[in-house]
Amino acid sequence: MSGVDGLLLSPLLILATGLGAAFLLGLLHPRQSGVAYGLTLVALAWMAWIPARWLWAFVLQGAAPVEILTAGTPPPFAINLRFGLPEAALTLLVNLTGLLSAIHLKDVLLNQGRRAMAVLLVAVMALGGIILTRDMFNLFVFLELAVISTAGLVLLSDTHRPGLALGAGFKYLVVSQFISVFLLVGIIFAYHATGTLNIDGMAEAGLANVAALAFFLMFIAVVSELKPFPANGWALDIYESAPPAFSALFSAATGAAVLYAADKLLLIGGDAWLPMATAIGIVTFIAANLLALPQTHDRRLLGYSSVAQTGLVLMVLGQRDILGEATPFIAFGLLVSHAVAKAGLYWLSGLVQERRLTDWAALGRRPLLVFAFATFMAMLTGLPPFPGFYAKWELVHHLAGADRLVLLALVLLGALIEAGYLFRWFGYLLKREAPGGETAPCTPHKLVPVLAALAAGWALAWLWGDLFGRVNLLLALPLLFALAFLLLDWLPAWIKNTLAIAGLVAYFIMTWGEYDPMRLIFAIIFLIGGALTLLASYHAHGRRIGFYPAAMLMYAGMVMLIQATSAFEFFAAWELLTVGSYFLILRGKASEPHALSYILFSLGGAFLILAGFAIAAAAVPRLDLAATGALQLDLASLAQVAAPAAPWVFLLLAIGFMTKTAAIGVHIWLPGAHAEAETDVSPMVSGILLKAGLYGLMVLLLAMGKQQLHGVELTHALLWVAALTALLGNLMAVFQEDAKRLLAYSSIGQMGYAMFGLALMNHLGWLMALVFVINHYIYKSMLFLAVGGVAKRTGTREMYRMGGLIRLMPLSFIAVLIGIIALSGVPPLSGFGGRWIFYNAIMDSETRLPIVVLFLAGPVAFLYLFRLIYTIFLGQLKDELRRVKEAPFWIVLPQMIYVALLLVFALVPGLALRQVDAYLDRFFPDGGLRWEGGQITSQYGYWDPIAIMIVVGVIFTTLFLWLLFVNRRAQMVKQFNIVFSAERPYRPETTHFAWNFFAPYRKALGFLTQPLATNFWGAVTDLLHTAGDLGRRLYDGNGQTYAFHLLAFVIIAFFIGMGA
Amino acid sequence: MPGIAQLAMATGFLLILIGFYGALTRRNLLRMIVAFTVAGTGVNVVIVSIGYMHGRTAPILDATLAASDAAARIIDPLPQALVLTAIVIGVGITALMLAYALRLYSQKRTLDIGRFTELKG
Amino acid sequence: MVKRFIALVLVLAVGGLFAVLLATYAPDAELNQTARYYAQRTAQDLGAANIVTAIIVTYRGLDTLGEVTVLFLAATIVGLVLSQGGQSGTPARGRVPVGELLTTGSRYLAPLILLLGVYVFVNGHLTPGGGFQGGAIIASGTLLLLLADPLRRFGHRLIAAVESVAGVVYVLIGLLGLILAGGFLDNRILPTGALGALFSAGAIPLIYVLIGLKVGAEVSSMLVSLAETDAETREEA
Repeated sequence: MSGVDGLLLSPLLILATGLGAAFLLGLLHPRQSGVAYGLTLVALAWMAWIPARWLWAFVLQGAAPVEILTAGTPPPFAINLRFGLPEAALTLLVNLTGLLSAIHLKDVLLNQGRRAMAVLLVAVMALGGIILTRDMFNLFVFLELAVISTAGLVLLSDTHRPGLALGAGFKYLVVSQFISVFLLVGIIFAYHATGTLNIDGMAEAGLANVAALAFFLMFIAVVSELKPFPANGWALDIYESAPPAFSALFSAATGAAVLYAADKLLLIGGDAWLPMATAIGIVTFIAANLLALPQTHDRRLLGYSSVAQTGLVLMVLGQRDILGEATPFIAFGLLVSHAVAKAGLYWLSGLVQERRLTDWAALGRRPLLVFAFATFMAMLTGLPPFPGFYAKWELVHHLAGADRLVLLALVLLGALIEAGYLFRWFGYLLKREAPGGETAPCTPHKLVPVLAALAAGWALAWLWGDLFGRVNLLLALPLLFALAFLLLDWLPAWIKNTLAIAGLVAYFIMTWGEYDPMRLIFAIIFLIGGALTLLASYHAHGRRIGFYPAAMLMYAGMVMLIQATSAFEFFAAWELLTVGSYFLILRGKASEPHALSYILFSLGGAFLILAGFAIAAAAVPRLDLAATGALQLDLASLAQVAAPAAPWVFLLLAIGFMTKTAAIGVHIWLPGAHAEAETDVSPMVSGILLKAGLYGLMVLLLAMGKQQLHGVELTHALLWVAALTALLGNLMAVFQEDAKRLLAYSSIGQMGYAMFGLALMNHLGWLMALVFVINHYIYKSMLFLAVGGVAKRTGTREMYRMGGLIRLMPLSFIAVLIGIIALSGVPPLSGFGGRWIFYNAIMDSETRLPIVVLFLAGPVAFLYLFRLIYTIFLGQLKDELRRVKEAPFWIVLPQMIYVALLLVFALVPGLALRQVDAYLDRFFPDGGLRWEGGQITSQYGYWDPIAIMIVVGVIFTTLFLWLLFVNRRAQMVKQFNIVFSAERPYRPETTHFAWNFFAPYRKALGFLTQPLATNFWGAVTDLLHTAGDLGRRLYDGNGQTYAFHLLAFVIIAFFIGMGA
Repeated sequence: MPGIAQLAMATGFLLILIGFYGALTRRNLLRMIVAFTVAGTGVNVVIVSIGYMHGRTAPILDATLAASDAAARIIDPLPQALVLTAIVIGVGITALMLAYALRLYSQKRTLDIGRFTELKG
Repeated sequence: MVKRFIALVLVLAVGGLFAVLLATYAPDAELNQTARYYAQRTAQDLGAANIVTAIIVTYRGLDTLGEVTVLFLAATIVGLVLSQGGQSGTPARGRVPVGELLTTGSRYLAPLILLLGVYVFVNGHLTPGGGFQGGAIIASGTLLLLLADPLRRFGHRLIAAVESVAGVVYVLIGLLGLILAGGFLDNRILPTGALGALFSAGAIPLIYVLIGLKVGAEVSSMLVSLAETDAETREEA
């Protein structure tokens, strides 16, 4: 079959139906609004069905594109239209958006009557015309129709002040008058130069060479309709004041249609004009995102975001010279992501009554709508598994391949800024109080478009995965498992918890044979460890909406990470685990700002990783480009990255991974994120999630090893960073009052140790890092659970408000005691094993100075660990805490399991380490350990865990018994017995022995804990906001100013473009 | 020596520039609209001047102009068709702008474009 | 002052662009390929004596359909904008009544104007003029009546009906071209007849009549809407 037969499915009917229906509406009586509305919907549905049917034929039946003649005369003498795959896809997008917007606008349309419906129909029809036509002047006519109908639809505003929309419409008309003058002058001179108005004819005649100025005028006029920065003030006013359903159309459909028009013009212009499209696109992308940052009005913010996304697609079109055949995949990937998400968000904004971003909190209690918002947000920021993700991946790789690194950096920067304001907004939605506590009214016709966009988003995710051709993320079992929890969210939490645990364990059993010993350790921690941590979640009651999809998304990402063999799979998994953990962290009561800083650092890190992979892929020497598929990079082939790029790749990837392990400088997100998370989430994100970063570093170091950059050995630099991280992390932990923050800072320090071990690049260093991986998982999960349990019972996390809880919460006490013994690395527990290997490892190393720094960190750890047990469990019981009970069963149970695990691991570390030790021989043949019975020997000495346990046990028992004996006559003093003291202190906290406990040390070492990193990143954020605020002053609201902008834009573009 | 086509074209361009200047500097909505119609007229003149060919006749076949020698004797008919479309579109937009101006005036009792700046930034 | 200066600079810069266009412009000595095709083929293919009309109605018929739609849109939106402000108020009072001469004169003139308009669009394929020109003439009749009696009220329903029927039929004729002839808006669904005859050039006269009616109705509707609102605005003032 070569096409779709039948008059009723002729693509021309897309236009004819729209027009005919619009004219027909005039025959109806003004009061027959219902009939008119029905007719409108039927017409729009038919207009959407035609391209849908054709799309089917093009994709699945291999139909050829059709040329449609009008007037029975061939082009260029009559106007012709073309209908192929891109046209079908775009008209489907436009007409569906139109249909759904018409549904969304039901109230307004019925109220305003048939005239409004006619304008809507013509608007949709005109956009179809822009897409289909191959005639330049015809394009102008359809553009004008689109402009005029836009000016009309703006007026359907549902705001309380319709005058605003009126002003916006007028400004739009003013600017569009200038645009059409340029377009017309350009067209007529282009006609004069080539003797044709046909677009393909102009391209053939080489218009851009014969009459460059005429082409420039046409091009710049069409580009101006894309709202380029700074000539776009008018568009933002429209976005702000128009009804949301229209803004959806304007953003998604008009944007798509005009982009296609710009693409046609680039066809005429040829390669010489691509740089201008690129420049305009990228400047708009960056500037609009920057300007969006300080916005507080939701629809205006979405407007800026629309402008930015359109700019990005224009930039992609401008990169056609290097993107080649990948252009449609990338451009459409970005375009449909933008269109569906933006339309969805605009429709969603119809469900919010007030217009500040914080007012979206009204949606926060509706899981379905939150899910929709999250989906749209993920689509816009290019997160997996949505089309934008695949597109971003391809785009960045092509840019790196062509050495366009500045452009690459700008794309990622803009995307990060965009993620910044979108995720901030999501935080408002979930965590702010809805005004008056009321939720928005939710009529079906306002809900249907949102849900349709949601469904479309996921369908497109599948489609793009399929088109991508290598890995369809939506077919990955772990991800599907996580997504299944979205459908099961109505179940009670305990059932979902059981399912989640079963899933994790089952997946481990299914796959454990696949891992090498190193990966096996991570698999055990991620899957079995994850299941263990989830035991604590049995404590939660009710349905706990949103918890399981997020948690399982994180676990899915982590397990996909260790299963990944290619850079693409690795990166996709990395983003999945990042997003999942973000949603998890955001669940904490006061975690909104911390979750935001977490996701931004993580995405920033992820973008560095992406850039690193892309540059690596470009630098891997390849014998046959075509055969291997230019962009598929195996993780293993990182080792082959050639010289000049290699250290840079290493640097980018290392910094990327270190944002996840919270190395010093990029650590500021961690304390808040881990401390404010829910009780059972803290162990997940601390004990388990941090290991993902370490895993990344391991993969990187194994593949790329030692790299030199300007004579600096990068692993040596890493050593320094690690040592400083350990020292400063510990030091900052010392001065915390909040028990969970203390533990969080302690994690920073601990990760410093692990990184140090890796950076040593010798056998024992790596073994030590793996010991840290295991240990840190166990004791940090345990400590977070214990402290979380205490905090739950006492209602505070401030340690000085606790005290004397040893009798009331003995089990928690035991957990903390065991935990800090293990953490501090004193015998007999497993921490000591880590230390022992560590000391052996540094004997092997020749770098001394960072080692000194690291040694300093050791005693500092004692300071905060001591405080943890002393201030919480020892000392005097507070009055208000007399009735505190032991932590809930489900929170204590995992702690006790961890205690047992720690003891086992302390006694027989060989269980876990022996295989790894042997495995590491492959990479570091020298300096392995010998394992004989219970005894472990290195070249410097030996370690017998069981013997140590016995010795320490004997000493401890002896001392303890002696203490009991000595104190047998001691008199117990009751708490309020003031015989031995003077008077009641005036301000308890200032004299309390636990508050500002280490004040003397602060005097001595406080300068080291100056929040330099916090101040730095704060300054960066402020700078961006200030830049955004300054930029906003350009848009003073005066239509004439906007006309100035447009003229200035045209002239500057001319001089820059013609100069280049 | 500049022919009549160039002269007309120069006039057209001048009209466009005058219109632009007016639209940029007049704050009164109605004056802006008038400025746009001036610019629009300029564009139309430019379009027509492109099709003009010295010494030829209008593209209408009748007793004095046979179909066979039309190609040698008529001016380019296409710009004439285009200009009609351009004029009509111009009329539509002008009417629309007038309606907007009227409504804006009835809301604020002013025609000063500098007063309709609630939306900005 | 600064603003004017910047405006001047910008306009001069645009003028610079135009100057380049003007300086490099060289008039054609011969018709280009497109124009030559029209000159040679219009008569035999479409049977229209007025080549411009053939281009407008047939070769570039899609443009013209769009053009009609522009007017339709403008009229619709003008109605929409102006109806949003408020209900049609009572006629303004206290105006100086127009003179007897004007009223009577316009009453005689209006039918003649209408007739002229019809003549112009019926002969559009033969002589200069056509649907748009004829429509505009008809609308000028409306304008005359409105100027003579600003309080006069026209039947919106009738105008809307004429407009709609003309529009729908226009689209249907276009589609007939798709079925019966070579493509959308092909005029050869009717016999092309003898060159120069009234009933020639296939569907062109028919389409031009429809356009004339539609344009006349649309422009009239715009004028009427504006006039009614103007009356209200004065009243409020």
